[in-house]
Amino acid sequence: MKRLVAILLAVALVAPAFAQAPTVSALKGKKVEIVIWTHEDSARTALEKRLIDEFIKANPSVTVNYVTYPSGKIKDIVVAGFAANAGPDIFNLEIFEEYQFIDNGRVAPVDYKAAGFRNMKDMQAKYMAGMLDPVIEGGKIYGMPLELTNWAMYLNKKIFRDAGLDPMKDYPKTWEDVMAVSEKIVKRDGQIITRRGFDFRYPYYLTSVVPMVEQLGGELVSKDGKSVITGDAAWLKVLNYFRDFGPNGKNLGSPTYTAARKVFDNDKNEIAMSLSGLYQEARMKGANPAFYDSGEWMVVPYPQWKDAVRKVPNNYYGHYYMVNAQSPKLDQQAAWALLGYMLQHGEEYLDKVAIVQPTKALFDSKTFKDTPYSDVFAKDMADGHIVYYGAASSKIESLLKEAFESVMLSGVEPAKALDKLRRDTKAALEDI
Amino acid sequence: MKPRESAGGLERNRARWGWAFVAPGLVFFSIFSFYPMLNAIWTSFFNKRLLSLKAPKFIGLQNYQRVLMSEDFWNSARATATFTVGVFVPLFFLSLLFATLITSMKRGKRLAQAALYSPAVLSSVVAALIWLLMLDPRGLANQFVNWVGSTPGIDHRWLSDGWMVQVSTMIVYVWKYLGYFTILFITGIGKIPDSVNEAALMDGAGPFRRFFSITLPLLRPTTVLVSVMILIQCMKTFSTQYLFTQSGAPLAPVNVITLNIYNTAMRDLNIGKASVMSTLLFLLMLGLTWIQLRVSKKDEAEL
Repeated sequence: MKRLVAILLAVALVAPAFAQAPTVSALKGKKVEIVIWTHEDSARTALEKRLIDEFIKANPSVTVNYVTYPSGKIKDIVVAGFAANAGPDIFNLEIFEEYQFIDNGRVAPVDYKAAGFRNMKDMQAKYMAGMLDPVIEGGKIYGMPLELTNWAMYLNKKIFRDAGLDPMKDYPKTWEDVMAVSEKIVKRDGQIITRRGFDFRYPYYLTSVVPMVEQLGGELVSKDGKSVITGDAAWLKVLNYFRDFGPNGKNLGSPTYTAARKVFDNDKNEIAMSLSGLYQEARMKGANPAFYDSGEWMVVPYPQWKDAVRKVPNNYYGHYYMVNAQSPKLDQQAAWALLGYMLQHGEEYLDKVAIVQPTKALFDSKTFKDTPYSDVFAKDMADGHIVYYGAASSKIESLLKEAFESVMLSGVEPAKALDKLRRDTKAALEDI
Repeated sequence: MKPRESAGGLERNRARWGWAFVAPGLVFFSIFSFYPMLNAIWTSFFNKRLLSLKAPKFIGLQNYQRVLMSEDFWNSARATATFTVGVFVPLFFLSLLFATLITSMKRGKRLAQAALYSPAVLSSVVAALIWLLMLDPRGLANQFVNWVGSTPGIDHRWLSDGWMVQVSTMIVYVWKYLGYFTILFITGIGKIPDSVNEAALMDGAGPFRRFFSITLPLLRPTTVLVSVMILIQCMKTFSTQYLFTQSGAPLAPVNVITLNIYNTAMRDLNIGKASVMSTLLFLLMLGLTWIQLRVSKKDEAEL
């Protein structure tokens, strides 16, 4: 009996991986070619190509042209494609870039039936609360989440011990701790840093720095949308923190050193702490399996200020798969059916690519719970909110970079940088 | 009458063949250069957004007014002018110096030319990536300068300091194009008849006198060509600034007009405003080309 239960349990667990791709009756005998443009990720490409093959087997009249582009270039390529009315049938970008496609009517609403849902409510019920909000406009859903990511603090225990710290007790809980711990860990050859305690993820200011301001009561755009850069004291405190952190202050890090998350995986005594998402675990496992298996790293929550007025973890951001509104209706239907099938495999995406699709099923799954430190990410995500997105979000991100880095690197007074930031942000929003 | 008629026929026949040979080039130029230029000028009068499906609204000179009144554009004009001057002076004089030295070499001319020219065959992106590695705080640039100056441990902040990042972009450009302009000067020097130099030598002129009184005046068409080409190249600079800012360098000091055009079009999706900046840059470069043509014609007439 026990053996039978075990076999049934195993079959139940493995079954989704071998789920039969749906045969879409509307596509029978009709030649449809679907073009997908997505960013490079070898593990995801392998998985998605397999899922696409399964879909094609069930729908032999469909062909899929799956094209990948480097992450740094895909936005320009997709924008140029759509500007020439020659965009792909399916694409994905970060939400603060994708929003403009919804805003300009360039993407089609989800075909719920084709994607495997009964209706909009059924689709919403299958995802964690609020995770579809960024792609809901006028009572319709315009995308399916490929991944939603938030960052927490990765920590190298060896480096902590080397600096005379106990990682389990001394890990930073506050931004003041981050600075103090970094001062203990940093090593320099003259002015040149050879080991950093922590460094930020430049230039992701909307994702990772705005929450620091929000913890202190400041806001990028007020809730009524009428004022921008509110709560000067909060902004000035964070700007001053960057000045103290940078080369003109305590010289603990700078945007021109190699990206923190890249050197963290090397475990070559170069950095003790960096911010990254759950996906970093897969990258670490691939790049440095010995370090991954060593147990010498851990993940702790995104720090809060000592005098924080509210808890705000790192913002989460997402990639949503979207469908071109200019594609023929039949192609759109085929595209949603394919996406519905691909994204049913959330556990495989997590297991093989380490990306999180925010479905209730995935968050309840054993695969998610067994992923190291998934609880840290899940808890921070539950307390957090999506990154700011709007028609001018890319411009605002660059204005934030300019303000923070002018203070950090060029010695501009924080109050002056803040005034310019407010003026430019207002102008950017008015110029939409 | 008959011979004249047949001469005219031959002329017409030649002209027809001339058109036939030029036609592919003209078609290519019209589609890929002339049409985009006209289109950019036309677009600059519209409130056109890259992703919008709505018909763009004609707004006359409003985009020009917005651009010309924006602090951001004038910062870009300043960045472009600083870069142009900062590159022009060393690039022009070093190319001339190396060309003179190489021309006077008895052995190893080809090797010296090849060595100097080799960075020019690299794409701008590859060149910028190589320099990014060298300009990293722990890279070769700091090590070399600190070794030369006996200043161990000093971070010269090649990419993070607003002033130094401008110098860094200039260094990359001079390094990349030095060989190219040296070759142009070598060609120009080669065109100066030996008899002129030999006559000056027989009159007892020394190397400095020969250079300033013979070589330099006769090199005038080449110096004008090189000057205008350097200026135009500098105004079109993009990849180095783009890659440096993508790698953490501050934007404002190196936000040259081309980078501003790119960001306005691809990041802000405001193709109308980007077209205004493109048109202004185009007019500036057209002016420089016109000056070059005028000077070249004057030189030809004098010769």
